[in-house]
Amino acid sequence: MTQAATTGYQDPIENTSTGLSSRKLMMWAFLASDVMFFGTFIATYLVYRGKSLVGPYPSEILDIPVTSVSTFVLLMSSLAMVLALHYLKNGEKNKATLWILAVVVLGTVFMGFQVVEFRLFAQEGLTPRTNLFGTTFFILTGIHGAHVTIGVIWMAFLAYGSHKGTLRSDNSMDLEIAGLYWHFVDIVWIVIFTVIYLISAADGPPPGAETILH
Amino acid sequence: MHRVSKLSFPSRPALLLLAPLAIALLAACTPDNNQSTFGTAGPIARDQADLFIFIFWIAAVVFVLVEGAVIYIAIRYRRRSDSDKLPYQTHGNNKLEITWTIIPILILAAVAVPTLTGIWEQQNGVPQDQGEVLNVEAIGHQWWFEFRYPGQEVVTANELRIPVGRPVALKLTSQDVIHSFWVPKIAGKVDMVPLNDNFMWILGDEVGTFYGQCAEFCGLAHAMMRFRVVVQSEEDFQAWIDGMHTAADPPVAGSREAAGQTLFAQNCASCHTVDSTAPGSYAREINSQEARWNGWISDIENAAIVSAPNLTNFGTRSTLGAGLRDLNQQSLEEWIIDPSSIKIGTRMQKHAAMYNTPDGTANLSSSEISDIATYLLSLKPGSGAAGVVIEQSEGDVDGAALFATNCSACHSTGADKIVGPGMAGIGDIAGSRVAGLDADQYLEQSLRDPGAFIVDGYPPVMPGWSQLSDESIDTLVTYLKTLK
Amino acid sequence: MTTKSLTFPRLFPRPKADTGIWSWIGTVDHKRIGTLYGITAFIWFIVGGIEALLLRVQLARPENDFLDPEAFNQLFTMHGTTMVFLVVMPLSAAFFNWLIPLQIGARDVAFPRLNAFSFWVFLLGSLLLNVSWITGDAPNGGWFGYAPNSSTTFNPGIGMTYWVVGLNILGVASIAAGLNFIVTILNMRAPGMTMFKLPIFTWMTLITSVLIVLAMPVLAVAGIQLLSDRVYGTYFFDSLGGGDPVLWQNIFWLFGHPEVYILILPAMGIVSEVLPTFARKPLFGYPFVVFAGAAIAFMGWFVWAHHMFTVGLGPAANSAFAISTMLIAVPTGVKIFNWLGTLWRGNIRLNTPMLFSISFIAMFTIGGLSGVMHASPPTDAQQQDTYFVVAHFHYVLVGGALLGIFSGIYFWWPKFTGWFLNEKLGLTNWALMLIGFNFTFGPMHWLGMDGMPRRIYTYAEDMGWETSNLFSTIGSMLLGLGILVFIINVFYSKMNKKMASADPWDGRTLEWSVPSPPPPHDFDEIPQVKYRDDFWFKKHPETIAQYYHDEHDDQDQAVPSGAQFDGDDEAVAVPAVAENKSNGHGHGGIHLPDMSYYPFVLSVGITIFGAGFLTNTYVIAAGVPFFLWGLLGWSMEPVNDPE
Repeated sequence: MTQAATTGYQDPIENTSTGLSSRKLMMWAFLASDVMFFGTFIATYLVYRGKSLVGPYPSEILDIPVTSVSTFVLLMSSLAMVLALHYLKNGEKNKATLWILAVVVLGTVFMGFQVVEFRLFAQEGLTPRTNLFGTTFFILTGIHGAHVTIGVIWMAFLAYGSHKGTLRSDNSMDLEIAGLYWHFVDIVWIVIFTVIYLISAADGPPPGAETILH
Repeated sequence: MHRVSKLSFPSRPALLLLAPLAIALLAACTPDNNQSTFGTAGPIARDQADLFIFIFWIAAVVFVLVEGAVIYIAIRYRRRSDSDKLPYQTHGNNKLEITWTIIPILILAAVAVPTLTGIWEQQNGVPQDQGEVLNVEAIGHQWWFEFRYPGQEVVTANELRIPVGRPVALKLTSQDVIHSFWVPKIAGKVDMVPLNDNFMWILGDEVGTFYGQCAEFCGLAHAMMRFRVVVQSEEDFQAWIDGMHTAADPPVAGSREAAGQTLFAQNCASCHTVDSTAPGSYAREINSQEARWNGWISDIENAAIVSAPNLTNFGTRSTLGAGLRDLNQQSLEEWIIDPSSIKIGTRMQKHAAMYNTPDGTANLSSSEISDIATYLLSLKPGSGAAGVVIEQSEGDVDGAALFATNCSACHSTGADKIVGPGMAGIGDIAGSRVAGLDADQYLEQSLRDPGAFIVDGYPPVMPGWSQLSDESIDTLVTYLKTLK
Repeated sequence: MTTKSLTFPRLFPRPKADTGIWSWIGTVDHKRIGTLYGITAFIWFIVGGIEALLLRVQLARPENDFLDPEAFNQLFTMHGTTMVFLVVMPLSAAFFNWLIPLQIGARDVAFPRLNAFSFWVFLLGSLLLNVSWITGDAPNGGWFGYAPNSSTTFNPGIGMTYWVVGLNILGVASIAAGLNFIVTILNMRAPGMTMFKLPIFTWMTLITSVLIVLAMPVLAVAGIQLLSDRVYGTYFFDSLGGGDPVLWQNIFWLFGHPEVYILILPAMGIVSEVLPTFARKPLFGYPFVVFAGAAIAFMGWFVWAHHMFTVGLGPAANSAFAISTMLIAVPTGVKIFNWLGTLWRGNIRLNTPMLFSISFIAMFTIGGLSGVMHASPPTDAQQQDTYFVVAHFHYVLVGGALLGIFSGIYFWWPKFTGWFLNEKLGLTNWALMLIGFNFTFGPMHWLGMDGMPRRIYTYAEDMGWETSNLFSTIGSMLLGLGILVFIINVFYSKMNKKMASADPWDGRTLEWSVPSPPPPHDFDEIPQVKYRDDFWFKKHPETIAQYYHDEHDDQDQAVPSGAQFDGDDEAVAVPAVAENKSNGHGHGGIHLPDMSYYPFVLSVGITIFGAGFLTNTYVIAAGVPFFLWGLLGWSMEPVNDPE
């Protein structure tokens, strides 16, 4: 366990004092950091629930069935991720490549849903500059979308690597770490979906607000 | 193995360190300074000062013990010779650790008890058993304070007058940025936060004038945002309230005050109200202030109006520019010529048309400025009875005069746009503006409820003028229709 | 590695120089990066200090017109921002970089290139922030950037956009460094160095890094939201659109209070190393000092609203935060008492680093006591936003953090450079700083109690504040003179070198076991750790029993034995270090990570990207190629090129 630590820079990343891969530990620490990041955005959204001065309000614009589909797609990508890692560790190269590609595709589909949703909302008069709901909604889901996009690009590289044989069972840690990130982003979406689409779906105008569409 | 530092314990620096501390103790005895938190003149400031002194003495004991220990240990156990002898390598002592965890907790508990009672006494609403509560709304503006007395229907600025010995409930707000309301001798500060109404109560138990100052950084002239609290006897306070409902005597025709009044109406009246004495004028001033704010915020670069202090009975005030100068003819003239020389960044200079000159100073002659100052200083409760509507006596109401005093600050009689549109030809257009209303009805509506029809391209800032009598409105409408 | 991996086409060969500019741009050596951090931060310290002196000159007398209010507002905003983000944090980072691998017996940090990246992002971000001086529109909304005074409505200039972009870039640097040190400390300890054998400075670094990693994202969110408001017109903090200015304060201080501990804990770590060394006694109550540090860091998350006692949160919230704030004084007190316990019956050598550390205790105590005074909302109502608070936090951050850092500089200077700083100049430096500091900030206590608000560019003559202010200004000049003496000391000592041995102070921790300055590979042989203060006890084995006999009383601390090593004894039988002779760089054949220019490229990309928010989208786009070049090149570059 402590072997590597005494041999200079042979491989201090995987053989460590704690026994945890340094890269994996790094990803865990980063995710803790990202929890605070998303947590603050989500808290902002919650603080501003029902504080929009003008519409459109969540109840007028959110389409829960459609977003449920995209949520399901993202959940399935996590399943694909698990399978990809499983096959990679088993050395089943083609299956692994296929399932990593599935993650890429499902992630892309999710992003497609988000792009379409953003465009629809813009057509219906909701932009980040419309009201507080628009501000908090677009920035929160947009930041999450940026995370998904980064993940998709990352997975695409890994799929290529798996196809080329540079990602193998002996360095499956690369995929495992990417997987940690991917599952995290997925979990964050579950929270966002709950907070925005389920909890506040019925939010209308606050008492006393004029219902003027911009 | 090392050379020992030749320095014995440096006693001189240590003594020098004590000097500022000694001065600190001396300086604490300056309760007469204008904003000293020790020269208290009200129960809240007194409770706060007492609690401070209580904590101070606890802290002083801890300070002496800890600093004494530091100095004692440093001297007592300093290396005296080249001896490298090893002290006993102890790892610690659990009993000691527990002791010096528990003792601070006990000390802090002693601080916490009066802290909590203090919080609930000071922040949990006005006591109902200390006399009739006076309600005041204090509004922070960049960079002055507005005070409204909703129960008395009085609006004033930068000088808060309160009766001695009576609790005052303050509602604190701001339209622009965060300010903070602070009168050190009467009470600690509470912030004035936009969209968040804050409440505090104060009580002055000593007649006098007390200094206040904005304590939250609020931009360029934060240092210049000061005010005064005048604690008066109940009689004086009532007399002041009555005075605020008594219009100033109209200037004698041809006097400097009269000339100043006209100049004021032309140059200043779109933002500064001077006649909030009549019944209904309180609501009107609140509307006007809102309208001025909307006018400014909707076009910050080019706005011709901006929230401004109400100058009713201005001549009774003691200071100028939010507590910056003693109010007199000379300081007032300096202010009018170039307000930024006294309070930098004041919005008046940026937005009022009269400052639209190359060097930014007023485009009035020195005699005109003197006239305005003379007029403003003459604004004191007049000889009329309180509450009497001072308007030109019925009969000789002159439409042109009504227009000059009420409308000319924002509307020209020609085609020029000031804040609102020019009035030339209004008689011809008015009849066709809104279906079903003829020109008279449209103009009357526009005067009584201007928000109903806003001309495109203008901000909805015009206050209602329903405080005018029906006759006056008729006269004004008739006059407006004559404008070509 | 023999197996193939993805490669990225190189535009330039991988840097290999040992000297010259490229040896610095491409360096991944934690010691060089530490030096870069130290020098850069010290330059910003001079800048921030000059800003402070200008402020003091303006306030020296009433109705002064030395500075106009706009300049004053810009100077105090940049003074605060500079001292917090460009001075104290990176000076601490300089110590982290230099010391952590040396203290835990590692040859570098876990991610050397990430470490270089942190520095370059910090450097470029700090430059970007200060470019605002040249464009003539420096940030002017205070280091706390309160909404809505920081909105484009009330603050239309570009200054606050510089501020928010600069802070976000600096946040990237801090988070990257924080992650790196967490992993380094947890994962790269020498064999046998269990967590409770970590040097105390390493412990404080770990705690600080955890705070950085958790607190900086909160600031990042505030920054993104404000940036979005300013650049795209969203409503996060725009009261005209319903945005709540109090939310900004909550978010900012949720970051801001842990930030205070990010600033002070490293200095506490330094002091906890210096005191035992020069008292020639182990740190008193090591586990309690560690737990107190952790407790402070944990409780630091539950006290943020004490910055907001006058905001009108209501009596219930104010009561709760008053109590949590007072409680945080308890672990702080525990630390102070343990330091006194360390000195007690020591053989105390009063040299420059020790005097700085002892002064730290004395001054930090004052800051702590004044802190308790405004932990109480009723007294805080009079003190909030006055010079009393200015005095308080300067006693904590100058009297605390800065004196601690200077103590560390004098203490570890011989280790960093191989020569001593001059002791006489050092004592002058210490005396001037300590006296100047007290003269500057002592009077501010009663200025505050005398009703002088913060952040006012001038005051009237009739307020009775002029004597104290003049006093304070004179003190600030003395303080500045003290810093000047330090600079003179560095150059004087460099020209009149008094060489230092590997272990000039009879030190306690592993960094003193390697030559001064350490070789690039730090350790010829990775040490086997058996004891807390392992190096000391191996030098003075006769004292082991004293320490560990006592320790026996603690249930959780058994006498360590050989079998107590992290893993099994077998693992300790390590392969010889000089195994890999093929590396042409020498270092006894020890394989160090190769240099890399990608961290620099990536940081350039991030900075250009950030600068785009100040200019236009084309600039944002211009940052992308650098970003991708740096990121892709880096991710496909092996730590070491195959031979």
